[in-house]
Amino acid sequence: MTQPGTVRVCPLADLPRGEALRVDEVDPPIAVFHTDDGEVFAIDDTCTHQDASLSEGWLEGCAVECPLHASTFDLRTGEVDAPPAKVGVRAHRAEVVDGEIVVTLSTEPPRLPPGVLRGPVGR
Amino acid sequence: MTSTQLPESLIATLPGRYYTDPGLFALEQATIFERMWFCAARGSDVPRPGSFRTVQVGAESVIVSRNRRGEIRAFLNVCRHRGARICSDGEGSVGRAFQCMYHAWTYDLDGKLVAAPNLTRMPDIDRTEYGLRAVHVREWLGYVWVSLADEPPSFEDTVLQEVVNRLGEVANLDHYEVDTLSVGRRIVYDVRANWKLIVENFMECYHCATIHPELTEVLPEFADGYAAQYYVNHGAAFGADVEGFTVDGSAGLDPIPTLADDQDRKYYAITIKPQVFVNMVPDHVIVHRMYPMAVDRTVVECDWLYLPSVVESGKDVSKSVELFHRVNQQDFEACERCQPAMSSRLYRDGGVLVPSEHHIGAFHEWLRAAIGE
Repeated sequence: MTQPGTVRVCPLADLPRGEALRVDEVDPPIAVFHTDDGEVFAIDDTCTHQDASLSEGWLEGCAVECPLHASTFDLRTGEVDAPPAKVGVRAHRAEVVDGEIVVTLSTEPPRLPPGVLRGPVGR
Repeated sequence: MTSTQLPESLIATLPGRYYTDPGLFALEQATIFERMWFCAARGSDVPRPGSFRTVQVGAESVIVSRNRRGEIRAFLNVCRHRGARICSDGEGSVGRAFQCMYHAWTYDLDGKLVAAPNLTRMPDIDRTEYGLRAVHVREWLGYVWVSLADEPPSFEDTVLQEVVNRLGEVANLDHYEVDTLSVGRRIVYDVRANWKLIVENFMECYHCATIHPELTEVLPEFADGYAAQYYVNHGAAFGADVEGFTVDGSAGLDPIPTLADDQDRKYYAITIKPQVFVNMVPDHVIVHRMYPMAVDRTVVECDWLYLPSVVESGKDVSKSVELFHRVNQQDFEACERCQPAMSSRLYRDGGVLVPSEHHIGAFHEWLRAAIGE
């Protein structure tokens, strides 16, 4: 995957409401959410505090709580509410095109926690 | 004195070391409490998803909880990573997941490992295999029963058979609809005695007239020394001038409407080995669970269960509770009187059982078989 770019994630029907999906074909991996209200969002999957997968976090409304230390990220902006994470994750543009979830990746530099390397070394 | 020299009226108890030897207690933990069905908690103790209680079952701490669908789950209270206790409190609520305080290994309410630092870089870790270790659960009488065995014994052939042995048929207990009753009072006793002393005490009534004056007033036949548990489906009748099963014989609470006619004005008792006692009277059911903590220490949790309408209306259950609370205090004082003497040279070969206690001999035979003797 060349960045910036777009990612065809999966048919919307494959991601039930209230669930999330980690896409690790892109680097760093992203998390795609289908909210209870039917909206689709994409953010970087890795918490900025420690290497934890936000796709495994707790989805509530338009926010996801990190499963490890409970910092909560706004799915629309990537902003974080409270420590231990101090900076937000990148938010990507997610849309449904012909029944398929398509994510346009952010061009900002990712904000990864200490020790998480990009590329094959970190994977 | 050995058993071969006993007069016909007497049979031997277990030798004293059965009540004092930590090695023998460890054997009982492994072969009895961690293998049989163990009554761990009342279902209402964990009312919602994520509510939990921790209880000691044998040598293990066990988490009893509910998953997101409200179904009962129980797990060994040990993190799969480095072994930290997951829940340190006796009860509480975790919301969405159990998280280890040490490295934040995080388990959902079905025990599955759902998150951990760097977990995505370790895709070969199976989330179920490295989830909390579940133990078998069964709900009966409104209680959560657990078995730590890989293959638990048949619930019907063990727990329910105890009811059949005592009452003739399970239906005689079903009439009380115990699962629908509400906890009107719970009292927890920390008893400095071996669990078997408490079982033996509960099984006999030779002591009743001496240490249970209130109980013997309500159930005059107890003065004869023959416990209800000596017989099959024998209810001890209330005294003629007794209105209810209360500390002063005054009227009790609203009777359970589904009882059979011959269960009115009667007291029944069941011992469900290894750690449950059930007492039934027309307006309430008393359920004791023993949690053996050490060879010389047993925590006993006792619930007084009434019709939900009685509990919700805030009716005064204190006279009703007071009767068996006194019985418990009287019994546990006696058990604590025995415990220190179990290590006496005089009790090396044990004591004796009189005829009205001879059925305790069957308990001793069961115990010896259970621990492989």
